[in-house]
Amino acid sequence: MDIFSAIQANLLSPAVLFFVLGLIAALTKSDLKFPEPLYVGLTIYLLIAIGFKGGVAIAEAGLAKVWLPAFAAMGLGTLIPLWTYPVLRFGGKLPGVDAAAIAAHYGSVSAVTFIAATNYLKAIDLPFENYATAFLAVMESPAILIGVVLGKMATKNTGESAAASLKTAVHEALFGRSIFLLVGALVVGYLCGAPGMKKVEAFFVAPFQGVLALFLLEMGVVAGRRVGDLRKVGPFLLGFGIIVPLINGAIGVVLGKMTGLELGGATLLGVLSSSASYIAAPAAIRMSLPEANPTLYLTASLAITFPFNITLGIPIYLEIARLLYR
Amino acid sequence: MNTHPMKLVTLVCEAYALQAVKKLLPEVGAHGCTHFPVEGDGAGGARTGEMKEFANVQIEVVLTADAASALLARIQKELIPRYGMIVFESDVRVLRAEKF
Repeated sequence: MDIFSAIQANLLSPAVLFFVLGLIAALTKSDLKFPEPLYVGLTIYLLIAIGFKGGVAIAEAGLAKVWLPAFAAMGLGTLIPLWTYPVLRFGGKLPGVDAAAIAAHYGSVSAVTFIAATNYLKAIDLPFENYATAFLAVMESPAILIGVVLGKMATKNTGESAAASLKTAVHEALFGRSIFLLVGALVVGYLCGAPGMKKVEAFFVAPFQGVLALFLLEMGVVAGRRVGDLRKVGPFLLGFGIIVPLINGAIGVVLGKMTGLELGGATLLGVLSSSASYIAAPAAIRMSLPEANPTLYLTASLAITFPFNITLGIPIYLEIARLLYR
Repeated sequence: MNTHPMKLVTLVCEAYALQAVKKLLPEVGAHGCTHFPVEGDGAGGARTGEMKEFANVQIEVVLTADAASALLARIQKELIPRYGMIVFESDVRVLRAEKF
């Protein structure tokens, strides 16, 4: 399969088409709108379903197989903000606190991008390690903490002390709803194993595709409403939001291969490295680094990188992996 | 019926400011607050409320005049520079003054 048919296969999945439908709804100013509780409800469902499935997969594969690539994933999550920060600070001439906030988002990960990627791999019948969800879980927090430390170093203290906001950040990064649910469901899935899966399969597996389509419809609306902000963030961040994911994606794929993952798993590690958080990181950053401008990091993560990744990025990372595994 | 003069401080702010506001309240002697999700338009564009990042809350605090001026001073100094919010104060009369 060449890159164009790979992209085409991705674009014609229900999830991506519903995302585009949501974009169109926002751009045409349709009154389509999900209430916030539904958005929260859908994220809870998706995080539990993916976490549980991942936990069961870890139980089946055994921890011995998981720890090395998981460790590599965690290292990536820590290093990405350290290299993106200077790019934003000196390349993009952004204030230190904004550079740190954006770096935290790009080091952290997007669960929905990951889910869309597993969906795509399933659709094209490419096997992957189901326990890759563990990488998602360990990559979510480190970057947020690094980002907050960088941001605090860059700001003159106003009001809250650095220690107090780091405490807020640690709490958010470890107990914020997305990481809490994901890790919690992973542990539950690991403890239950395959017999537990049988009991909840009808609820967490069969309707999953439909829920994902609904969620992406909503994300299309949310991202579409931010399109006007693209003008505010300027061309640097627009380029950053596409080029940096491509570089991080390639690094992730290479690291996946080095730590013994198969083609599918390496692609997923690439997808994770490339993705930018828009659930865990914005909440943690807004509370611990309120001086950072949310328009910048939300627009970059939500209106640039997320749409890029779920339409073009995922098949591109797969093609990079294919080149490497040839 | 005996009613007593009190101040009502109302904040309309981004949802993420709620925690910071709630932390301030006991420090100035307020005994509680009521908050609810709201939507609207303002200097920061439309606050459409579809996710927490784009949601607003309205926070209402009833308190004594002294506590109200302390609260407003702290908000002005510590929160206004960091969060999107509007704040206003009004006179109200309450039952059971000892509750506040």
